[in-house]
Amino acid sequence: MSSELLMTSLAILIQGLVATLLLSAASIVGGTLIGLLAAVLRSFGPWGTPRIARLYTELFRGTPVLITLMFIYFGVSYFGYAIDVFAAGVVGLSVYQGAYIAEVFRSGIEAVPKGQWEVSQILGLSKTQAFFSVALPQTGKIVMPPLIGQYLSLIKDTSIVSMIGMSELMHAGQAIVDRVGKPVEIYGLVAVLYFVVCFPLSQWVRHHDRRRSLLS
Amino acid sequence: MTSTTPIAAARPIINLTGVSKSFGATQVLKEINLDVRPGEVLVLIGASGSGKSTVLRIMSGLETADAGEVWVNEVPLHDARRAKEIRGHVGMVFQQFNLFPHKTALGNVTLALIKARKMSQTDARKRAIDALDRVGLADRADHYPSQLSGGQQQRVAIARALAVEPGIMFFDEATSALDPELVGEVTEVMRGLARDGMTMVVVTHEMGFARKTADRVVFMDKGVIAEQGAPEDIFVNPQNERTRQFLHRVLDH
Amino acid sequence: MSYEWLTLAGYWNDFVRAAWLTLQITLLAFILAMLLGLLTALASASRAGLLRAIASVYIEAIRNTPVLLQIFIVFFGLPSLGITLNAYTAGVIALGVNVGAYLAEVFRAGIQSVPRGQLEAASILGLGRSQVFVEVVLPQAARAVYPAIVNNLIQLLLGTSLLSAIALPELSGTATVINARTLLYIQTFTITLIAYLVLSGVLSWVAGEIGTRVFHPPLVLKKRPRRLLFIARQTDRT
Repeated sequence: MSSELLMTSLAILIQGLVATLLLSAASIVGGTLIGLLAAVLRSFGPWGTPRIARLYTELFRGTPVLITLMFIYFGVSYFGYAIDVFAAGVVGLSVYQGAYIAEVFRSGIEAVPKGQWEVSQILGLSKTQAFFSVALPQTGKIVMPPLIGQYLSLIKDTSIVSMIGMSELMHAGQAIVDRVGKPVEIYGLVAVLYFVVCFPLSQWVRHHDRRRSLLS
Repeated sequence: MTSTTPIAAARPIINLTGVSKSFGATQVLKEINLDVRPGEVLVLIGASGSGKSTVLRIMSGLETADAGEVWVNEVPLHDARRAKEIRGHVGMVFQQFNLFPHKTALGNVTLALIKARKMSQTDARKRAIDALDRVGLADRADHYPSQLSGGQQQRVAIARALAVEPGIMFFDEATSALDPELVGEVTEVMRGLARDGMTMVVVTHEMGFARKTADRVVFMDKGVIAEQGAPEDIFVNPQNERTRQFLHRVLDH
Repeated sequence: MSYEWLTLAGYWNDFVRAAWLTLQITLLAFILAMLLGLLTALASASRAGLLRAIASVYIEAIRNTPVLLQIFIVFFGLPSLGITLNAYTAGVIALGVNVGAYLAEVFRAGIQSVPRGQLEAASILGLGRSQVFVEVVLPQAARAVYPAIVNNLIQLLLGTSLLSAIALPELSGTATVINARTLLYIQTFTITLIAYLVLSGVLSWVAGEIGTRVFHPPLVLKKRPRRLLFIARQTDRT
């Protein structure tokens, strides 16, 4: 592979990588908020919201993110509105990963020993106070590794948004291969770029994940 | 005294000479010398960290000594090539029972008989039922450990160890993980074994058992044998200051 | 509205065929993944440094790159190395290789989860090393990893949707085609969602039933949603 091709390809791919990172960042924020909301509703919600939260998580954990993305992207135009791929991607990924993140938060909440809640109640703390001052700090350590793990999945899932036309890293790679061929080299390069972003995260998770049991 | 026949003044069945052991920077055993005679019931007492469990685990072959000689039932455990010969000839009962959860009580007892001893299914089954009967659990043979109480699980563990017909039985805090009301059924079985003349080395916190069933009590402190003797001597009239302190802490609440 | 649903009814056969294809690929890729996962887990635990290194490279390469990229590499990349595959085979291989890396971790953790005391008790009873592994470690490890394995199976099922990118007429690909023809976005994708839910539901259910029959004592795979009540009444304690 000529160094000329390498340089131009890299330039295009890096652009795509930037788009990937932006999409990831936005979706991570969205997914975390949605997941936190769903987990809180599931454990503490009033009249019927736990069931809704549960249905939400089961729906999005039992269906492929691709279909969710298509639903949002094409479905919105069905109702006469326009939505750009980036927004569709953020919404789709947030909603999809939100379901998994909700489960991570839920097991974190449930990992807090029952006695902590009882003590809080006896000491006169309200539910919100108990949650933020007593439970949340304790879940932090347990929740972080699987949470970062989900973020890692999210970053990889941004590649799927290429299938509804967004020009992120995966799409950029495809475009180059369509023009010049050499799939092994180009996709290899794409793989290296993804690897460089993901590897530090996965190593962090592996390092901090010692405590978790297999079946949590 | 527990046995009606006098303990054979024969050669010791277990012999430790100059045994030392360290875990990392901590020296847990310091040149221990200890003999156990056939048919003797030896009870090891002491605070946590005194080394009593390590002595037991070295005798049963689970740990190797860093220095010294360890002879158990004519097998030199200090010789790496021959240490494996001890397997299947001694029995060990653990604090955490360590029953195989995926097998019934009967399955637990027959597993080693069939796989290691190569007994036939029928012979193994028969011997297993006998062993379970000896600990009073023949009617629970088809139960899984999760369906048994702690005391019952430990008794199955004893039956499992007995079934291979070991020359020596080791007990590593066999009752420490049990609810108080379940301790009795296990110590009762252990007493029965002692009456039948089994050589037993027992690490325990149950002073009542030590007093009534031991032939000899060994008090360990910080990796050495601080004092040893007949139960009457140790419990009623301890010579060593450390022994006195320990017994005072443990017995008088 | 109902007219539009009726139009889609005409595509019933296509949907069923696509679902069947999806199921086939899922099961074939799963078998491959189990084999690869087991081999890799054994390699990770081996004493040979080379085997451990290969296992490590395999696992890290797969886990740090998107599965879509892996599918493309298998389908588009292998031909330039002389191996041409049709979409079906490429799909099975890519998904199998992908999930295999995740299963390897699952198996490794499962084996490590068996308490040491089990090994000690077994060896004192006279069981040899391989006997201890087969009779004591494996059954307990298998039971421990079963839920995680089922999860990975479901993930594999959902992953087949990405094979539409290499023009395989599985469920998502078929849906896209039908969508392009009828332009009935909502209806098409709703049916597709339901189809995936049904497939994943059935797989989970079958896995659950197998779990209760194969393991002793029976392994129950229920995910009961536990409602964490702020403790109001003493009597609530179970």
